[in-house]
Order: sequence, then C-alpha cells, then structure tokens
Amino acid sequence: MSTVDTPLPFDPYQVGRARVDNPARGHGAGGPAAKRVIVAYGFWVFLLSDIIMFSAFFATYAVLAGATNGGPGAREVFDVRNVGVETVFLLLSSFSCGMASLAAGARNKPAFYASMAVTFLFGAAFLTLEMREFVGLIQASNGPSRSAFLSSFFALVGCHGAHVTAGLVWLLVMIAQVFAKGFRPEILRRTLCFSLFWHTLDIIWVALFTVVYLLGVLP
Amino acid sequence: MMFMNLIWAWGHPEVYILILPAFGVFSEVISTFSSKPLFGYRSMVMATMGICVLAFMVWLHHFFTMGAGGDVNAFFGVMTMIIAVPTGVKVYNWLFTLYGGRIRYTTPVLWSIGFMVTFVIGGMTGVLMAVPPADFVLHNSLFLVAHFHNVIIAGVLFGVFAGYTYWFPKAFGFRLHEGWGKAAFWCWLVGFYVAFMPLYVLGFLGMTRRMQHYDVAQWRPWLLAAAAGAVIVLAGIACQVAQLVVSIGQRQRLLDLTGDPWDGRSLEWATASPPPAFNFAIMPDVSGEEPYWTIKRAALAHHELLPEPRYEAIEVPRNTPTGFVSAFFATLLGFAMIWHIWWMALVGVAGALATFVAFAWRDRSEVLIPAAEVAALDRANRSARTVALSQVRAFR
Repeated sequence: MSTVDTPLPFDPYQVGRARVDNPARGHGAGGPAAKRVIVAYGFWVFLLSDIIMFSAFFATYAVLAGATNGGPGAREVFDVRNVGVETVFLLLSSFSCGMASLAAGARNKPAFYASMAVTFLFGAAFLTLEMREFVGLIQASNGPSRSAFLSSFFALVGCHGAHVTAGLVWLLVMIAQVFAKGFRPEILRRTLCFSLFWHTLDIIWVALFTVVYLLGVLP
Repeated sequence: MMFMNLIWAWGHPEVYILILPAFGVFSEVISTFSSKPLFGYRSMVMATMGICVLAFMVWLHHFFTMGAGGDVNAFFGVMTMIIAVPTGVKVYNWLFTLYGGRIRYTTPVLWSIGFMVTFVIGGMTGVLMAVPPADFVLHNSLFLVAHFHNVIIAGVLFGVFAGYTYWFPKAFGFRLHEGWGKAAFWCWLVGFYVAFMPLYVLGFLGMTRRMQHYDVAQWRPWLLAAAAGAVIVLAGIACQVAQLVVSIGQRQRLLDLTGDPWDGRSLEWATASPPPAFNFAIMPDVSGEEPYWTIKRAALAHHELLPEPRYEAIEVPRNTPTGFVSAFFATLLGFAMIWHIWWMALVGVAGALATFVAFAWRDRSEVLIPAAEVAALDRANRSARTVALSQVRAFR
C-alpha cells in the first residue's frame, strides 16, 4: 500500500478516488471505503432500480404505441418543436447542475445558489411546457383514457415528469440546507446524490425524446 | 396480457428474492451444525449470481397459454429449466457439506433437511411444468398450486423458521426450547405432505384452482386428506407459539452466556448475545472464509484469548424513527391514490417530506460510545469466553 505521489486525478464529484487520505483500494484492504463512496454507491443502486422501472414503462409504450383504438396516433398529437424546446431546457439545467457541483466543490456559496437557481428555473420551465402539452391533449379529449397508446404515453412521460417535480423539491431543500448549515460533509454528499439524480433524469429524457417523440413522428 | 407480463416480469425475480435469503440461512445452518466449512463456497456465490440473472428471463412461464407462439414459449421453457441448474448446484453443495460432517440434529438442522427433501420435489414438479405442452395441461390446476406451495413453504418458510431458531439466541440472549421446536418441525413436515401431495393428484384429476364449489365425487377423499394435513400444520403452528411462550418462561435455563451457543463459525458468534450497539469492539481482521472459527481454534490451542485490544470510542448512528414515520405517510399516500382521496394524498406527501427534511436537518446524526463503555462491554464478553475456555480445558 504505497502512498500516492502522482498528481491527483480530476475529481469534481468528490467521489473520493482522488483523496490521499482514503487508502481503500479494493478487496477490503485499507478498511471500509469513504462515506462519500458508500453513499454514492447506495444511490447508484437506487438509480439503477429506477432505471429498471423506467425500462418497464418504455417496454409498455413500445408494445402499445400503435394501439390507438381509432384515435389519434403519435404523428397527430406530438408537437416536436415544443418538445425540442423542453429538451434544450432540461439539458441546460443539467449543465447548470454540473456548475452547482463545481461550486459546491469549491465551497463557493454565491455560485452554488446561482447555479442551483438556474437549474430550478430551467427545470420548472421544462415542467411547465410538459404540463401545457398534457393539458392541451386532455382538452382535445386525447387524455390517458382515449387509447392504450395515450395511456402508456401519459404513464411514461408523466412518470418522468413526477421525477422532475420531486427533483425540484429536493433542489429547494438542498439550497435551504446549504443556506442553513453550510457545506458540511453530509450536505455535500446529498448534493452529490442530487446531481446524480438530476443527470439520470436527463439521460432518461434523452431516451424518451428519441423513442417517444422522434420515432413517433418519423414519416 | 400487458399487465400480466409486467407483473410477472417483476414477480418472478421477486420469488427468487424470497428464496435466496433462505438459501443463505440454510448454508449457515448446515455448515455450523455439520462442524465443517461450507462446501464449494465460490460455486455457491456463482450459483446465487446465476440465479439473479436468470430470474429476469423466465417470467413468461406463468402464462405459456397466453398464445405468444411456439418460439417464445420454447425460449422461456428452456430458460426455466436452466435456472434449476444453479439451484441444483446449491443442493449438492449442501449435501457435500453434510457429507463426512459431525452433524448435530438440532431444530434448525431438521428444518434444513426437511427443506432439502421437500424443495427438490417442488423443483422437479417445476421443471415438469417448464415444458410448455405439459403446462398447457397443468396450467391453473391444483398441480400448480401444489408446486408453488412446495417451493415456497418448504423453501422460504422452512428457511425463515431455521433462521429464527438459529439466530434467536443472538438477538435475545436465550435459546428457544428444543423439544417444542422439534415437535413443531415434525407437525409441519408431516402436515405439509398430507396437505399438499393430494393436490398434485387433484391437479391430474382435472381440478382447477380458486373454485367456489365442486361436484366431482372423485375429488372428495383427496380434499379431505388435504384438510387433515392443514390441521396437522395448525398443530405445528400451535407448537411454535408454545415454544416461544415456554422459552420465555424458561429463559434463565436457556440463557446463552457465551454468545456462541452453537459452536458457530461466522463472526456474529464472536459478539455477546444480544450484541452491543457497535457489534465489534475492534474491527475484526478477516482473511479467510471462517474468521471466527480461526480465532476460536487459536484460542483453544493456546488456552487463552487474543490479547486485549486497545479500546477506542466508536461512532454509531443515532436512533431515529424517521423510517417508520415516513413509511406511515407513504402508505397513506398509496392508499389515498388508489381511492382518489386527494386531500389524503397531499397529507401523505407533505408528511413524508416533512419527516425526511426534519431528519436531514439534524445537527448530530451519530453518537460516540466512549472507549470506557466499549471496554466494559467487551471485557464482559471476554470474561464469559474465558470461563467457557477453562471449562473446555477441564472437560478435556
């Protein structure tokens, strides 16, 4: 077990790989891993289980996408321009979320608040556009009970939207925590988990945008 | 059928989630009471991981009759037969662990051997139904009902009972009464066979499941036999209740003074019974599969324990009711969503969130157990073991 004397690798998410005082190198040598590593590992297990759940919704959608029951199909109900703007908002919010992680790493409170606020605004804008799409569909009597296609559409996209809503609440709690308690180790760990969550929602959205919207309007 | 696919794509991995911990219990129990290390530890781990992966690829065998076609049915049929292979590996490993061992027939061992015999029967009827043409005949019949009770009762339930008896002294500081435990086992085992073997016959006689009434005279004797079996199982349950009551009454006689009542091999038996909040006074140094057995052998050979370690304060998480309280609100939310009671759903969300945020707001999430307290608790454990060691010497 030699000490690390090479330059430390870049470690913006503070997962602990770069720390010299964390001698854990696998196979149990050096004792238990750092708390950050344990927390992030547990959160990854949660995220993977969440992804498995989404895969079930994706599979359901794939099976039912053509089951329109005489009602409108994907090409009639999707407004790709609107969804494109939504996608840009969500991707930008992921970028600012990354900036917030860097700010937390640098213990820079103003930058952290600003990046988190930007993340919130983009997330909220995404959600507003999604709600507008949902309300428009329901008002045109194309709600979830219209056809199996629309049921699976609302279930899949709504499930993602519910995750984003929960993420926004979590984001506000994290701002409040940093404001009230500062960058304490456990709060940094929670910020790390939050950013993992937010980026995962982004990845799921990319898959969703491709499978539901782009493939849906393909001529 | 979409819903059937979804629920079983989840539900079939779930039955393996039920059985895998029970397999772990049997591995511990069989190894301890055979006084031997577990045979084929690595193949045991590989088999577990193999089952984990395969468990996600067999769900369609719940509805071969759906009409997905010969190719789909063949794939899931073959996968279902293949998943019996790692399970078979485990059964052989348990047999080889028993082979040549000095077996002590305590209650947990009886549950384990009862499991092995009965579970293999359930496994074989399972492989039989994995053949799609056979399943077309047996689908939703009492043969199926007999099969899954055969694996879940003899597998999961027997495993839970074995684990309950095995770790009871570790959790509560005294053993369970052996006589009542054995009576419970025999009632359960005999009752199980009398109750469920007739169901296989009834399945062949064409009886389907979930019938409100029947008018086939030929079924009656078999159903009466099954009912008699259920009464014998009930006697087994009564014995288990009696076992707990009697054990609490006689707890002074059944006290586990050393923390190692079964001559155990794994590390939990190095702690006192019940164990202190910090479990281990110093982190044990694990370099093999049976660290506690190694420590114990060394102590017996040198007629003394390892030298007393230097005690340090130990940080443990503070107790918190958060999990319980937020689970209460989450359940409220689920109930409200099913019945469209929107105000209650809001209460559920707000309550769960508030509980969680209050938890996150704590300034101290850990408490430090002072070195003196760690030392006092560990010295008590060590002195109990020193007494036991001197008794072993006197006996020899």
